Amino acid sequence: MSNPYIILPIVFHMAAAVILMFCWFQPRVQKLLSILFSLIGLGISVWLFRLVWHEGFQVTQAGNWDAPFGISFIADTLGSTLGLLSSISLLAVSIFSTVSMREERIKFGYFPTLHFLIMGLQGAFLTADIFNLYVWFEVVIISSFVLLTLGGKKTQLEGALKYVSLNLLASTFFLIGIALVYGLTGSLNLADVAIKIGAVENRGLVNMTAGLFLVAFGIKSALFPMYFWLPASYHTPPAAISAIFAGLLTKVGVYAMVRMFTMVFIGDTFMSITLSGLAALTIISGGLGAIRQQHLGKIFGYLIICHIGFLFAGLGIFTELALVGTIFYLIHDIVVKTNLFIVAGLMNKLTGSPFIKEQGGLYAKYPLLSLLFAIPLFSLVGIPPLSGFWAKVYLIQASFETREFLLVGSIIFGSFLTLWVIAKVWSESFWKDKPEASSSGKPWSTFSTKEKWGILVPIMFLSIVSLYIGLAAENIISLASRIAAELMDPSAYINSILGMK
Amino acid sequence: MEILLVFIIGLLHAGGLYMLLRRSMFKMIIGLILLGNGANLLIFLIGRLVKGKPPVIDEGLKVFADAYADPLPQALVLTAIVIGFGLQSFAIILIKRVYNVLETDDLDELNSTDEEL
Amino acid sequence: MMLLIVLSGFLFSALTRPIGSIFKQALPWVFTALPVLLFIYFCSQIGVVSSGDSLTWTYKWVPSLGLDLVFELNGLSLLFALLITGIGSLVFFYSTYYLKGHAYMDRFYGYLSMFMASMLGVVLSDNLLALFIFWELTSISSFFLIGFNNEDPKSRKSALTALSITGLGGLVLLGGIILLSSIGGTYSFSELLSQRNSILSSSSYCWILVFVFIGSFTKSAQFPFHFWLPGAMKAPTPVSTYLHSATMVKAGIFLLAKMTPLLGGTPAWNHTLMIVGGITMVYAAIHSLFRVDLKGILAYSTISALGILVFLIGVGTEKALLAVGIFILTHALYKAALFLITGIIDYQTGSRDVSQLKGLQHVMKPVAIAGFIAALSSAGFPLFLGFLSKEIMYEATFKYAEIGILLTAAIVLTKIFLLVAGFWAGISPFTGELPENLKATKKPSPILWVPPLLLGVGSVLFGVFPALIEQSLIQPVFANISGLDTSIYLALWHGFNTVLLLSILTLIIGTAIYFQWKPSEGKFARTLRFEKISPQTLLEGFAVGFHTFAGVWTRAVQNGYLRNYVLSILAFLTVIMGYRFYEGVSIYLDWNQLSEITPSEVIVVTLMVISIIFAIVSTSRTASIVALGVVGFANCLFFLFYSAPDLAMTQFSIDTLTVLLFMLVLFKLPKNKIFSSKRIRIRDAVLSVLFGLLIAILTLEVFEEPSVTDISKYYADNAYLLAKGRNVVNVILVDYRGMDTLVETTVLIIAAIGVFSLIKLNLNPSKEQ
Repeated sequence: MSNPYIILPIVFHMAAAVILMFCWFQPRVQKLLSILFSLIGLGISVWLFRLVWHEGFQVTQAGNWDAPFGISFIADTLGSTLGLLSSISLLAVSIFSTVSMREERIKFGYFPTLHFLIMGLQGAFLTADIFNLYVWFEVVIISSFVLLTLGGKKTQLEGALKYVSLNLLASTFFLIGIALVYGLTGSLNLADVAIKIGAVENRGLVNMTAGLFLVAFGIKSALFPMYFWLPASYHTPPAAISAIFAGLLTKVGVYAMVRMFTMVFIGDTFMSITLSGLAALTIISGGLGAIRQQHLGKIFGYLIICHIGFLFAGLGIFTELALVGTIFYLIHDIVVKTNLFIVAGLMNKLTGSPFIKEQGGLYAKYPLLSLLFAIPLFSLVGIPPLSGFWAKVYLIQASFETREFLLVGSIIFGSFLTLWVIAKVWSESFWKDKPEASSSGKPWSTFSTKEKWGILVPIMFLSIVSLYIGLAAENIISLASRIAAELMDPSAYINSILGMK
Repeated sequence: MEILLVFIIGLLHAGGLYMLLRRSMFKMIIGLILLGNGANLLIFLIGRLVKGKPPVIDEGLKVFADAYADPLPQALVLTAIVIGFGLQSFAIILIKRVYNVLETDDLDELNSTDEEL
Repeated sequence: MMLLIVLSGFLFSALTRPIGSIFKQALPWVFTALPVLLFIYFCSQIGVVSSGDSLTWTYKWVPSLGLDLVFELNGLSLLFALLITGIGSLVFFYSTYYLKGHAYMDRFYGYLSMFMASMLGVVLSDNLLALFIFWELTSISSFFLIGFNNEDPKSRKSALTALSITGLGGLVLLGGIILLSSIGGTYSFSELLSQRNSILSSSSYCWILVFVFIGSFTKSAQFPFHFWLPGAMKAPTPVSTYLHSATMVKAGIFLLAKMTPLLGGTPAWNHTLMIVGGITMVYAAIHSLFRVDLKGILAYSTISALGILVFLIGVGTEKALLAVGIFILTHALYKAALFLITGIIDYQTGSRDVSQLKGLQHVMKPVAIAGFIAALSSAGFPLFLGFLSKEIMYEATFKYAEIGILLTAAIVLTKIFLLVAGFWAGISPFTGELPENLKATKKPSPILWVPPLLLGVGSVLFGVFPALIEQSLIQPVFANISGLDTSIYLALWHGFNTVLLLSILTLIIGTAIYFQWKPSEGKFARTLRFEKISPQTLLEGFAVGFHTFAGVWTRAVQNGYLRNYVLSILAFLTVIMGYRFYEGVSIYLDWNQLSEITPSEVIVVTLMVISIIFAIVSTSRTASIVALGVVGFANCLFFLFYSAPDLAMTQFSIDTLTVLLFMLVLFKLPKNKIFSSKRIRIRDAVLSVLFGLLIAILTLEVFEEPSVTDISKYYADNAYLLAKGRNVVNVILVDYRGMDTLVETTVLIIAAIGVFSLIKLNLNPSKEQ
């Protein structure tokens, strides 16, 4: 159905960012506006999601040029769901930022950049044009560069150097890939390309191009052996920035991968083996990294990698069942990882150290806060019936059915390592008494009321969402199943864009 | 001629990546810029080379009278160049800052955030 | 109703805080009411179940996953439900005194009722996925309860060990359940039962067994995974009683018993269980003799008892399965009593050292009585429930095919050792002279001694009048495990036969050993010599090794050197693309498609090649930058040659800007140094050239593909007619693909913000300070 308003999420966040830039030197105004804009943004996303859910795909052609000539935008179920989740993360992070972000950073464009970042993500989720996708990706990465380096601390800069160089490398590969796809099909419109790529006789060329896309998106989504930038950088910026990165940045890479590899590069055996193998290695390598770390941010950073492997496992298996698992896990992961990094930030503040061996005593001092923290921590582990559990059932089942026992093993093993790591964090940071020698944190009682709410509201908000994902799994499964069905049979997507019945 | 251009493209990519593999931050940037140039040239070449016939419709005509260069890759390259400039200038300033703060150009000395903590 | 029954525990646990603030000091009593009420409810259902009916209650929770909450009350689940709520009631009651004044009383009861609810969920669920969910929840509540004294590093370590082992086992079990359902097409146990044949003949049967076994063995502390259980004794004694003896550790037994009619009856099933159960029971029984800590003795005798149960399920004859049913009840009654008694002794005297404790009957008569009963029941003296179960066990093994003698020998041996262990725990502390230092011991509160005494009453009552439980409780359990409807018969007197002889022999030898063998620190210390090869040491060693490996791996992968990162990405890409190239790219070159080479172009190309190489090899930064500029300008010339004046313009200005920026910003940097060795440079060069070659070939071949130009033709055809522009490139930029340009501008704006903040904002602590 044609609907020009579907680009509203993009346009709105752009306007929001510009308005925020006009308030450059008024941090208070920026804080208020950002929360307000995030709320409206969430409203828009909810509206779009409901519209798509009830009435099907919404399409618009920018400048009214018929597809495939202009740039098409489409809100399909996957895109609108991810848009909704980004808005949820943004709202939480923007509230958290108002109390956790230093004033200097706000005066140097933190909030406008944050909204630009979300604009880029929304654009990436909605566009149906490969080159346009590239442009949105660039918005996302340049915003993330700015956020990552904002403040210019030593560790930030060191981490950023790796982050920037590897991401630029990925962008270059992406760009080359696009050029080659254009050379092969003469088109940039995703739907049009999906049709025309089948007609290319020299399949080897298509396969080689797919390799470029695999690496480009593999770097962005932190797949083994391309994830190096993540452990080097994710723990360096302030918690709010880590939180939005953890929730969304790698996921947009996964999104792009899912799109391209379900529509354009339908995998042959080799690609499927490669993806499954990489998924297994990613799970294990991430898990191994996580059990070695002491820095809370790095532990969670490695767990991001480990769980990216789960997402790719579904793509490697490539059955509808497996994709249900991937999509469910994606939905869960965005919410929980954002929450975790906010929680990590708060734990850091309360105990005065980001290292779990120097943390401690949280459980004795703050029983209620601990209980709240337990929700994202144990959701991540996937203690049933919390949100992380359900997707694994699908993934394991799908791996059994396609006889990918290696994946079954790594999923079970990865889940175990996650369980172990989180139990260790619990034992160290919550149970253990705070070591005498370590620096003292800022006790909760010294936080102002405003600060308390600014921290608690986002954590509670995200926890409630993840509890909903877990306990009302049926709803999420039907959403994920619908998305998976649409991915397995992209004809509806193609027809809507090209305006065919 | 295309053969030569393809050679140049290959050389730009090889050179860019070789520079990325070095230990110096400065060389890293050079490498990224070389790669960017290579990618742009690649897009341009994919659009096929047509000599001396810019995709501009002559005065008085409404459509092209004869052959013309494919305008779309040109537009893409243009966008890519500008975006590339934005990213590259950010990167240049970044390494400048890194150099100021950490006082080294050697990437091997910049690995504290990777260490097992 | 059933939903409420199961979930009430979760509800209570969730509402711990409100309940605490309303009832304050009375909170433990409010919580205690819960298991008591549930126990009464389950007792009232005995009649229904024994008449052969089963109660079911269904709620479709996640239907698309086939996950329904189906709670079914049948013989087996009723027995367990009664144990869970019955012993639960006593433990809840007992703890009101035992933990009086503990700061975290509320949390304790919260966890305990969460555990009770999960355990009820495990035994009542018909849906295997639901069973797994509750199964995991018992592991988690156990984690919190073992670590209840969280200031103690040993508690934390034990909690982590227990969770690791049961957690890993749980995940493996999940694999088994999913595999089972993917063959049977459902998670419903009762529906799976009807597909027994297709499951047994499936090629995955063996894997299902492995997965289910690992799940059960880890949970029920079977060799070689048993060692988490003695560690779990760090939990407060009521917890050990409840979770680590009477109920949770029996979840694995429950699962095996439940699965027997579905998966059992094959040699693989029987032999594995017999071997693992047999090793466990003998190994742990011997171990229990060497402990001096009362809880240590009980922990190992519990493991041994669990081994007996697994062993009996493995034997799998009718008699053996009957013995399983009775022994579950017997063991729960006497072992829970022994644990509670140990708790009382510990509470009153502050010691659990069996070599020091003597003559306590003088200060705690009722406890002593309970201890005697429990010990005698454990030993299997006539008129105690233990006697019944022992008789049936012996009978079962004795009549088992050719290896009956061997099996009987094993179980008799185990029983003898367990008798000794039971005497040490239940009799030894109470007999003899009361030492001086224990003279001051106070009398325990009735809240403490009533529960073990009640359990003792149970042991005697059912031992004297087996008819009380024969038809009402054990018959339906037997029917569930065996899947048969044979009538069972429990009798005190089986006549004079070998079994009776063995039974008497057990008692005599056991009692003799008890009087001869004194546990002491010295003997315990001697067993430590074998620690080096114990499963715990080996598995822990493996864990340490694994942790080290993780470190080596992580440091190798995330080594901190950007060049290595680029290298591995590049190598990966080259391999992927190279393989794809090798696998099948048809290469052809159509010279007609190519344009000819003019001298001016050759000059530009040469210029470009030279400047690229110069930019790479130059040691002067300025020279590199200039060379880079030249590369850009040469690019510009190409654009100009081939009909792209706009591009040339843009490239020219951007290139100039970049070079200027570079010069301004970087010219202060030191000279380029060559850091890497020649070998590395050659390796990098080879890889880069390989990649460049692949890209070049790919480009050329894509270029050679027949071009599809309908889109750019559309642009050209309609640029003036529809978009009113003559320069098609511009039309594309501002109209057809205007969105790109808009966003591109945004990128520049954001980059500007970034550059601005990078230059101006520095939050590093300044050097002067």
